[in-house]
Amino acid sequence: MAFLRSILFFVLLLHGFFSPIFAGSVGEEEFSEELLLKPLPDRKVLANFHFETRAPPTDIHGRHHRLFPKAIYQLVQKFRVREMELSFTQGRWNYEQWGGFDPVSSSNAKPPGVELWAAFDVPPDQVDATWKNLTHTLSGLFCASINFLESSTAYSAPDWAFRPFSGSLRYGALPREAVCTENLTPWLKLLPCRDKAGLAAIMDRPSIYRGFYHSQRLRLISTEFGSHEGVDSGIVLEQTLTVVLQPVAQRNSMTYSSGSVLQPTWSISSIFGRKVGGSCVLAKHSTVFLELDRGLVAELKKLQREDGKFEVYDAVSEGSWSNPGFELSVTPDRVIKEVNSLHSESSSILFEFSLEKYSYSEPFDVWFRWKLPVVWSCLQAPFHVSRFLMGSGNERGSIAISLKSTELSEGFHVSDAIGDGCRLRVDVFQIVPWYVKVYFHTLQVFVDGQPQIVTDVVEKIRVSPSEDKVSPGVLEMVLKFPCSVRSAALTTEFDKGFLHIDEYPPDANQGFDIPSAVISFPDFQASVHFLEENSSNNSPILSKFQESNPVLSYTEVLLVPLTTPDFSMPYNVITITCTVFALYFGSLLNVLRRRVGEEERFLKSKEIAPCRCHKDWSAIQIVRQAKR
Amino acid sequence: MGSKIARLKPRPLNMDCFFNHKVILFLILALTLLCKSNALSSSSSSTKHTNNWAVLVCTSRFWFNYRHMANTLSLYRTVKRLGIPDERIILMLADDMACNARNKYPAQVFNNENHRLNLYGDNVEVDYRGYEVTVENFLRVLTGRHETAVPRSKRLLSDEGSHILLYMTGHGGDEFLKFQDSEELQSHDLADAVKQMKEKRRFKELLIMVDTCQASTLFLQLHSPGVLAIGSSMKGENSYSHHLDSDVGVSVVDRFTFYTLAFFERLDMYNNASLSSLFSSYNPSMLMSTAYYRTDLYQRPLEGVPITNFFGSVMETVHTDSAYRHSSAKTKMPLDQALSQGERRTLTIVQNQISDLNTKEERSTLKCKWSTLLDKGEIIEDFDTLVNYGLVLMLPLVLVSTWLSREGVK
Repeated sequence: MAFLRSILFFVLLLHGFFSPIFAGSVGEEEFSEELLLKPLPDRKVLANFHFETRAPPTDIHGRHHRLFPKAIYQLVQKFRVREMELSFTQGRWNYEQWGGFDPVSSSNAKPPGVELWAAFDVPPDQVDATWKNLTHTLSGLFCASINFLESSTAYSAPDWAFRPFSGSLRYGALPREAVCTENLTPWLKLLPCRDKAGLAAIMDRPSIYRGFYHSQRLRLISTEFGSHEGVDSGIVLEQTLTVVLQPVAQRNSMTYSSGSVLQPTWSISSIFGRKVGGSCVLAKHSTVFLELDRGLVAELKKLQREDGKFEVYDAVSEGSWSNPGFELSVTPDRVIKEVNSLHSESSSILFEFSLEKYSYSEPFDVWFRWKLPVVWSCLQAPFHVSRFLMGSGNERGSIAISLKSTELSEGFHVSDAIGDGCRLRVDVFQIVPWYVKVYFHTLQVFVDGQPQIVTDVVEKIRVSPSEDKVSPGVLEMVLKFPCSVRSAALTTEFDKGFLHIDEYPPDANQGFDIPSAVISFPDFQASVHFLEENSSNNSPILSKFQESNPVLSYTEVLLVPLTTPDFSMPYNVITITCTVFALYFGSLLNVLRRRVGEEERFLKSKEIAPCRCHKDWSAIQIVRQAKR
Repeated sequence: MGSKIARLKPRPLNMDCFFNHKVILFLILALTLLCKSNALSSSSSSTKHTNNWAVLVCTSRFWFNYRHMANTLSLYRTVKRLGIPDERIILMLADDMACNARNKYPAQVFNNENHRLNLYGDNVEVDYRGYEVTVENFLRVLTGRHETAVPRSKRLLSDEGSHILLYMTGHGGDEFLKFQDSEELQSHDLADAVKQMKEKRRFKELLIMVDTCQASTLFLQLHSPGVLAIGSSMKGENSYSHHLDSDVGVSVVDRFTFYTLAFFERLDMYNNASLSSLFSSYNPSMLMSTAYYRTDLYQRPLEGVPITNFFGSVMETVHTDSAYRHSSAKTKMPLDQALSQGERRTLTIVQNQISDLNTKEERSTLKCKWSTLLDKGEIIEDFDTLVNYGLVLMLPLVLVSTWLSREGVK
């Protein structure tokens, strides 16, 4: 026995000695935490937290994880998830003010409520069952009613307009799902330092939920079950929280000669109420970035030229960093410039602050003070998209998607298109619940106000009509507009359906939501390339920015009022019907069963004086029994 | 007339014999049932109180019912403070008040106008929320009849040693409680669910606490043993809110819950205050209604039951002499058969260690147990023949009983 035990001990010892060496050779788990801050033109501040956890492939590394959350690993293994994205959003991303072209808006601006899509590596006949189980698991994990996406009326299988996974992808959205602390807490528990240390510790719940927009996102990419590229990178878990906050404006803000008001000064502690108490010790990267976008940099350059000073961004004095336009309280560790071929005159700038040298006793805080009022605008998507309802009444209506060209597409037109061959591609993906019965043949396209022949504009279309109480209606379209287009509109008509009384939600009078449509512009890539010295030690958020993804925007959620019955009506109907039936059958039986002649004969034979009670049926019965 | 009666006469006799036959069968059935139920009740009364669960339900939607959510969250905070962990609390909130657009204090919920305590905190785990809070889901949670996909965090995984606290608040009336202003939970539904829970041995003791108008009427149909009920008001009485917060703009807490919390604020995990002291703390003039207690289904004297039996959690450690004997014998041996050759070797090492700990005598008993297990497995395999034998055996029994009943009639 002792011999066996010693063998076991020896084996364990050997394993313990060699495993770090093996792990070192195949790549380790990694965790990084980053925060991107960005002043927005409408006096607000964007904060984008980016946490990334990587687990090496199971067949090399094994099943034991030091940093990667077990719950997510099990989920990937059990449901064979190839890619998944879950987002919880409250508020609407303001594409006009906060930009629509940069990577943050294209990948982190999400529709209100919950959006979930997942691609599985299972046979096609099992995809639906796997999706249903996944929704239940996620609802337990994130304290949300994601399990409502289980019903076949709530999700759909987009073919090509949403993502390139055909067949194995499922997409569903719950526009009215509330998002609150109980969703953020389990999300934070997936981080190795939770919200106890590092950047996540500054997430003060009231200040986050006081914001104009917050979107919490979880993205999974797994190559556990084979990948297309042949690169086996294991599982990558990407968690982002995007918040748009309003810094408190000072009372004594000066008004400048031009009439514009100075933007408010803000700092990490003023917008979150807390300072960053150092980095999470488990993180490989722990960085805060401050981004000035192209428009702002161009404005600042213009201001400098007006001032006559040609000093470029270097006025370091006593730890602070200043510039004619603004001042930073902490000198950045690095200044990274964007490499831009298209817009060479202006490129965005990133200030990097590393958190390694800060600790709980010496917390990190940076404030941003404006010296001059600056007015600029963020980079827009080629079209500004909005969707609205037309028509009135409770019977029918129509959905309209309107696209308005922004300056960007004009620039595109000028720079790229010489001949008439220039066409702009727009992809549309829209899901409509079954009780809004869309007639797809009524699709009309207007370009610059003029109706067009549908086949001239629509290059490719896939329609799956809704089936009552079974599946929603799905519309996928590829549109090609001439580059000179100023505005375009698409309309489709619909009839409003009727629901069964049990299918109405408790607050049916509020109306029913149609989830956001996804409009993407595959001709444009939302990527920003930064000039860096050592590209091997890239920070995850920057490499994320360099990925080329199509520019994407979500439209508004539509609120359709449906006919709602008076919910006490069934009760009324039952009561009245029962009363009528009782009256009818009561009197009918009375007429049929009463034998007046016999009673009179009986009464006469007994020679009882006629009394009032002889009409009473029960009394007569008693009398009869007595006679027997 | 007379002939008619004569012709009819034999029939009642026939009926009688049939009746007798039935009575005998019924008696046999009843006897077996009685034996079973005796065994059941004795087993349930002898089981130890091993764990605590809480089901906290707010059934009202809409902003003006803020106080119901505050009530529920206050209770949630109290039971968490007194030691019930989050995975043993099922929290159902019918609407989102904390991040409601009308809430001036986002991600915060208060139950007092002094705003000293944020009930929502940083660590709330809501299991059912919004449209999920329905009568159906509530009854599913109680009775444990879920779809297979439903995650563990949404299930009440209690057992026969569990003490369960069921707290409900919302708008109600005579023998009903409204859910989301669109459906009702009736007192019969509640009683049926509780009875089913008892039969499935899902609780040892159950405390139902309801803060709603005419709360006492909700308990009228209860008849399962081990159930204790507290309601905020008698039949015909309303339950009122305690005070209005002019900053939030609505009433923030109900009177009954407010005074319950006031009682609990003085207590900590180690306090031995009894249930009767909680019951006697309710003052009808303060509540503006009469609190109602139903204790006739509960066997123990309330003076001796500490309040932490329901609102706290037991962390009892049981000392056993030989730690691995039983569990290893039952789980490891069948596993051994199923596993592959390679894994079996490691298991045998474990086995050896176990036998190292135990004496040889015990080892032989293990073997015995294993062989009986095997035998049982064989019996279960030819289950069909077993049923057939049973049917054949039933036949003479029925024949004898009918013969006996005939004899009795003659």
